[in-house]
This record gives sequence, C-alpha cells and structure tokens, in this order.
Amino acid sequence: MNFDKFFALAKEAGISESQIQISKSSDLSVRLFRKEIDNYSVNDSQSIIACGIYKGRFGSARTEKLGKDTFDYLVKEIIRSASFVEAEGAKELFKGSEKYHKKNTYNKELPLIPVSEKIALLHRMEEKALAMDPRVYEVSECEYSETESESQFYNSHGLKLKQKNNYFVVVLGVGVKDGEGAKSGFQVKVDSDLKSFDADAFVKKAVDEAIAKIGGVQCASGVYPTVLHRDVFGSLLGFFLGAVSSDEVQRQSSFLIGQLGKKIASSKLTIEEKPLTKNVFFSYFDDEGVATQNKYVVKNGVLQTYFYNLETARKEGRESTGNGRWAGSKIGIGFSNVFVKPGKSTFGELIAPIKEGVYITDVAGLGTGINPRSGDFSCQAQGFMIRDGKLAEPLNLITLSGNLLKMLKDLKGFDNEAELKYTSLSCADAFIKGMSIGGK
Amino acid sequence: MISKSLALKVLNAALATGGDYAEIYLEQTDTDAITLENGKVDTCGGRLSYGAGIRILKKFASVYGYTSDLSPKSLLGLAEKLAGAFEGERVITVTSFKKQRVKTVNKYASHYSEVPTEKRIALLKECFEATHAVDPRLVRITDTFLSNQKKIEIFNAEGEIGKWFQTGEERARLVMMAVAAGADGSIQSAFKGPARSGDFSYFTDVLDYKKAAREVGEKAIKLLSAKECPSGIYPVVITNGWGGVLFHEACGHPLEASATAKGLSIFSNCIGKQIASPIVSAYDDGTIANEWGSNDMDTEGIPTKKNQLIKNGICVGYMVDRLNGRRLGMEPNGVSRRQSYKYEPTSRMSNTYIAAGKDDPEQIIKDTKLGIYVADFGGGSVEPMTGDFNFSASEAYVIRDGKIAEMLKGCTLIGNGRDVLMNIDRVGNDLALGNGMCGAASGSIPVDVGQPTIRLSKITVGGRGGKLE
Repeated sequence: MNFDKFFALAKEAGISESQIQISKSSDLSVRLFRKEIDNYSVNDSQSIIACGIYKGRFGSARTEKLGKDTFDYLVKEIIRSASFVEAEGAKELFKGSEKYHKKNTYNKELPLIPVSEKIALLHRMEEKALAMDPRVYEVSECEYSETESESQFYNSHGLKLKQKNNYFVVVLGVGVKDGEGAKSGFQVKVDSDLKSFDADAFVKKAVDEAIAKIGGVQCASGVYPTVLHRDVFGSLLGFFLGAVSSDEVQRQSSFLIGQLGKKIASSKLTIEEKPLTKNVFFSYFDDEGVATQNKYVVKNGVLQTYFYNLETARKEGRESTGNGRWAGSKIGIGFSNVFVKPGKSTFGELIAPIKEGVYITDVAGLGTGINPRSGDFSCQAQGFMIRDGKLAEPLNLITLSGNLLKMLKDLKGFDNEAELKYTSLSCADAFIKGMSIGGK
Repeated sequence: MISKSLALKVLNAALATGGDYAEIYLEQTDTDAITLENGKVDTCGGRLSYGAGIRILKKFASVYGYTSDLSPKSLLGLAEKLAGAFEGERVITVTSFKKQRVKTVNKYASHYSEVPTEKRIALLKECFEATHAVDPRLVRITDTFLSNQKKIEIFNAEGEIGKWFQTGEERARLVMMAVAAGADGSIQSAFKGPARSGDFSYFTDVLDYKKAAREVGEKAIKLLSAKECPSGIYPVVITNGWGGVLFHEACGHPLEASATAKGLSIFSNCIGKQIASPIVSAYDDGTIANEWGSNDMDTEGIPTKKNQLIKNGICVGYMVDRLNGRRLGMEPNGVSRRQSYKYEPTSRMSNTYIAAGKDDPEQIIKDTKLGIYVADFGGGSVEPMTGDFNFSASEAYVIRDGKIAEMLKGCTLIGNGRDVLMNIDRVGNDLALGNGMCGAASGSIPVDVGQPTIRLSKITVGGRGGKLE
C-alpha cells in the first residue's frame, strides 16, 4: 500500500501529523483428539490502525477492510474521533529515537519443518501421556499452532520501522482419575526453535502435575507461611506491573502513587523489563515509534520507574520509556519480557525451614478476584501442605487472599527455578512469610 | 458481502475432498466506543472488523480458517488449503442456494449508525454528574458507551441445495466505573454495565441510568469502610439477577456440548440423572426479545430456542452445536456462537437462568442465623473437566440473626459443580437477569445470567478476615 497517499489525504483534510501501522499475521493450528486430527485451521489477517492530530487533538481509527476506500474511512474517523475528544492528549507525534536496537528474531527454519512432522509430534505427545500412568484417562488438549506476524510503522515525519516475528505454541492438557473426581494438568510452551523443544519433559510435567493433585483436601482456614509456584507468583506480578503504569498512577488508580524511589518491597525483589532480549517477545519499538529499552523496574525492593508513553511522560517532564501500547482507541501502557531475579537455593532448600505451611501451585479466578487498584485479591487455589520442610498432602478447593504490596513486603526469597513463560514474564518460586488461606 | 456464484465455487472447493458439511460465515462489524474520564471525553473511536471464516466438517473432524481478504482468489485459496487437510473423494456438489427466512427475536426502532456522537456523549455526561455528586472522595469516574452493528451472511451446505442466511445484530453497553480514595490511602472501585441487544432508546427511555450511576459511586464509597471477608464454610444467600453467574460458571459451562460431547465434563452422560436439588429448574433461552444474550439465529443459521437444561433437579438437555451434536447423537439447538469470524463456532450459553421458585426472598434472609449475603459479583470461572469453580463477590454482607449486617470486601466463593446445585435449599420468587461477557473457546460473547434469590446451605468462602462470628 502507498502510505504517502494516506499522509497526503490526511494533511489535505486538516490532520497536521499522522501515523499508520499495518499488521499482518498468518497462522496454522492442528489439534489432536483420540489419535485423530479433530481440528485444523489456517488463517490470514491484516489490520490497520491510524491516528493523527486534528486541530490540536488526538484521533484514531482501525479497520480490517482493506480496499480503495480504506484511507478515506481512516481520515474521516480520525477527524470524528479528534473532534469530540476533550482530554489534553498527545499534541504531536514522535519524530524518532536516536538509536534503534533492531535484531532479527525471525526463525527461518520453523516454517520449513513439514506440517507432517508437527502432527507427528502431537501423536507422540498424546501416546506418551496415555502410556505414562494408568490413571491418565484422557488427553483433553493436544494442540500445535504456529504464527507469523509482521508489523510496519510509518508516520508523516518520515519515521519507518518494521518487525517480523514467528513462534510456535504447544498446548497439552491431561485428565487423570483415581476413583471419584477428575484432576487435570496443563502445560503451554511458546518458542521459535522447535528443534530444541523437549516434548518428553513437557508431557511428563503435565502428567506429574495432574497425578500429584489426586486426593486433594481442604486445610483449615488460617494464615500460613506460603510458597507460590512461579506461575502463580507470575500471575500476581502481572497485576503489580499493571500498577507500574504511569497512566494509572496519574489517574489516581494505582497503589503505587507517590512510591517512585521508595522501598515498596522486600530487598529480595529485583525486577527488570528487558524488551530487547532476543526471544519471541522481542520488540525494538513501541506503538508510538519510540525505541524500547531495558530497565530496572524494582531494584532490591526500591521502585525505580513507572512505565511511560509520550503523553504520560510529557505530563511529568520526562522521556517516554518506550512502553506506549495501543489500548482501544488511544495509546496506553504495555510491557514485555519481564525478568525477576531468582534466588540461589533449590526448591527443597526454599521450603526446608517451613514447619507448617502451604505450597500454592494453581490459582483460578484472579481476573475478577483482584482489585487492580488496591492490590487486594482473593481467588481459588490448589497446592500442597508443607510439613516439617517437606511437601505433604495435596490441597484442593481452598482460597488464597492477600494484598499485592503486602505480599511483596513479606517476600522472604526465591529459589533458582526461574522460567520464562508464555506471559513473557520470568520468575522463580517465591516464599512469602504469611498469606490467608481459606478452607474448612 | 460476496456473490452467490462465488459462494458456490468456494463451498464446492471446500467440499472437494469428502467434507460432509461446509460453511462460509461472513461478517462486518462497526464498533464505536466513547469514554469519559472524570466527565471529559477521553477517547472516541471506531473500528471496522471485516472478514470471513470457512469451515468444513467431516464426521467428527473440523477444519476452519479465516481471512480478512474477501477477494475470489483469497477465499478460493483458503477453501482449497482447508480441503487439503482431508483425504477423500467428493460426496457433495452444491448446485444452488435457497434463501432462508430468519425469524426476528430482537427488534430495533433505530440503528446505532443513526445516533449522533453528541447524543451518546450527552448521556455519558449525565451519568458522570450523577456519580460525581455522590461523594468528594470519588477520585476517578469513567463512563463508556460501547455499541456495535454487525452484518452477518452465511452460506452453508450439507447437500446439493445450500442455504443462504442474512441477518444482523446490534448491541450496546453503558459501562460505569468509580474509584474512591480513603483518607488512609486505601483505594476501592465499583462497576456497573447495563447492556442490551436493542436500540439507543433503551438507554435513554427505559434504563434508570442516573440511579445506576449513583449506585456505582455509593458502592465504591461504602467499600472504603468494608471489613475483610472471613473464610470458612458458611450458608450463603445470593441475590437475584447477576447472582446467576454462579449457575453460569458452575453448571452452564459443563452443560455445553463442547465439554459434554468428548466426555470431558462432570455432566457428560448425565441426561436423565439428578444433578441438582429437586427445587431447581434451569433454562438457556436465546429467544427473549432484545435481551443482551439473545439472537435471531445462531452462527450456524439455526434459529435460537428456549432450551430446558434442568427440570426439578434432573438434567434434561445440553446446549448442542452441529459438530458436537454429531458426537452426542443429538440435534443442534441454536446455541452455536462465536465472537467474530476469527473464531470457529461452538456451543455457548445465551441467557441462562435458574427458574423462579416459591420463597419470599426476605424470608430467606430472615431464616438465616449466621451467614453471608452476596449482593453483587465481579465474575468467575470454571474448569469443566473437574467442575471446580470460583466466583468473586464485589458486594457482600454478613447475615446475623436474619438481618443484613456489616459490608465485606475481598470475598471469593469456591466449590464444585457436582455439589453446589445439590446444596441449594431455598429458591426465591424474584427471578431477574443480569448482563455480562463470557469468555471461552469461541471468544468473548455477550450473555445474560439470571436467577431468583437463592440460598446455598454451605459453600467455601475465602477472604482475609479470619472466622465469621
């Protein structure tokens, strides 16, 4: 598409500066159920997001309908949008960063591996899961998908940025039964290097996880020393990172208001955002064309920065941190590739000092069970009792409640089992001094 | 959106390798969203979603693909690629289409495209004023009006004569949110989101939006002084309307054919068996005129229906889509839904509710000595395979000696779908519906949940407030 034509059309209509982003993606997915391919899917999609400054106000529009009227639609919608906006938003678009750290993260080999090999992988996983333990009665999900995406960014200041990316996702869900009541285990892997994917270990993890849950009971309600599995701690940390948004802080909606440079957590907590890490979550520019940068968010418990986009940075007389991300019809705040510094001990050493405590392996319902503004949460959980420094009976249908900031203050340390998950967040298992558990 | 002759070519290309059903689902959705932040327009923007999904079924297997390019080259290319997933000889050649009559469930006096942006903003400003007047401790108030207009066209074929459907959907939602800040630095928030498959006049003429806006502000303020919810096992009385999210999560999802057909649900093979207390009957009804979860037809072209799921405690039906109906040997009953053309359809809920019982709701509370009353929810989730579910209460109170006492915050209810319906010991006579969004395999879709006031004799409650005394 000739984007100069869009810029000219926008200018002619009174849009002083404009920006256009085009995203294209294609994907393939195959799902196996009881040895048969029960779903196969191939998709192609494209979409355009455009924005501009009209009479000093910011306006935006999006479309998936690409044709001869596309630019007219976008220009008309940007003007309508900007005409009604009353908020003091972005007054100008970005002219460009001094330096961009472009890297090639596209794996050329992935699309060359024949689909038949990818299907064979699914068969192997399904067979392996069923053969691993007689209590495995069903492989409920066994799916491979692969996505290739390309994004292009242009603005009327002549800024041109492009990125191409590909990755695969493997999902496995197993059901196990021993007498009454089923339990499930679930694993997801996102990467671009299929050759180094260890399917056997992946299957074993899902099966082990499900088997360990058999016979779960409720413990007595109370406050226990609590170890949170890295996935659970990661989920909770995702909400903490949401509160690091300067937009939420400026709108009086974050529990981190006024905390910049202050000690907000245990000195065991160090968090870095490293969008420039070369992996499938890599991105070297944000949705405003600002170069992304690696940075400390929390260092030894002290809050180092909020995440800024151009507009929120301008309000505080700062520079954008490269965290501008589309949120509906405006640029909000986003982040990727977050790494929490792990500890040195093994999992066994982490739980060894706990006389009576709980180890939480799964949570559910956090999406509605958390108040992201206050950091208070209460959700469904399962896991294990810890007795005399060792894992004991499985726990099911219990609740985990707390407050994010209090939890981070009560953090006693991590083990060394850090893992980067599909949420683009890497952390290890965390030991919290005390958390409220609801049960009997 | 495409010509009949192109549709014919695409379906025949899709059926070339022995598929026994093929479908082209075309959709164009115009979405508009306006958000006020503390009374000022913060964002206002449109989005045009456009594309087609092609699906081929062969016995129990399905292939699906979508594209936002509706040119003959793109659609035929996609159909050929999808057909390539099957091996076999053609069994169906489609020769023509018969236009299908679609019955009207939702009626509209006007379209959203005809409602000027100024009118929507004026409504939002009135909502803001009503919330703002509640208390100076409300530090952030956002009001959003979301609307969308969907044009849908389906061509499908199971034999020589294909079917051709044209229909539309229009929906809107008013989302109000307030954040309150306490003197001690605490922050609480409250939310309300009345919604409708109907025209704009519902929001201006029928809905008491000022009352709803005031309630949002009042709730956020009340939460500032709410006590932490206790934890343990207690009797719980659940409000009517949106309280039905309990049934939606705990029992609705496990009764969808997408879960029951593969034997992956706690309610697989349960037709004719008792799964609930005998005072419980429940329905999924996509035909309630202009309700948020209602549609004229489902996204496979089957008319929506009122489906009974539970009759006096006995499971009498599932929500069945075409593909899972084949596994179950059951007829599809108009419940196949999807967020957009980017999702393959499957069985989903529409307006799902527990039917009214005989009890006076006030009497149910009077008869509860010590327990918890849940007046509003944030939402919840379930794992259909195990039946374990959770839902979080956004407004709850202690019931002490038959009276509603102090307000609680941070309250989660958890349980298993197998037990919870059995533990319903009172059903009120005050059935009402509430509007929400439901997320599952075929995307996020609008649904109503509903119930009269009910009491659970016991359920696990989780919070940070210690024991209830």
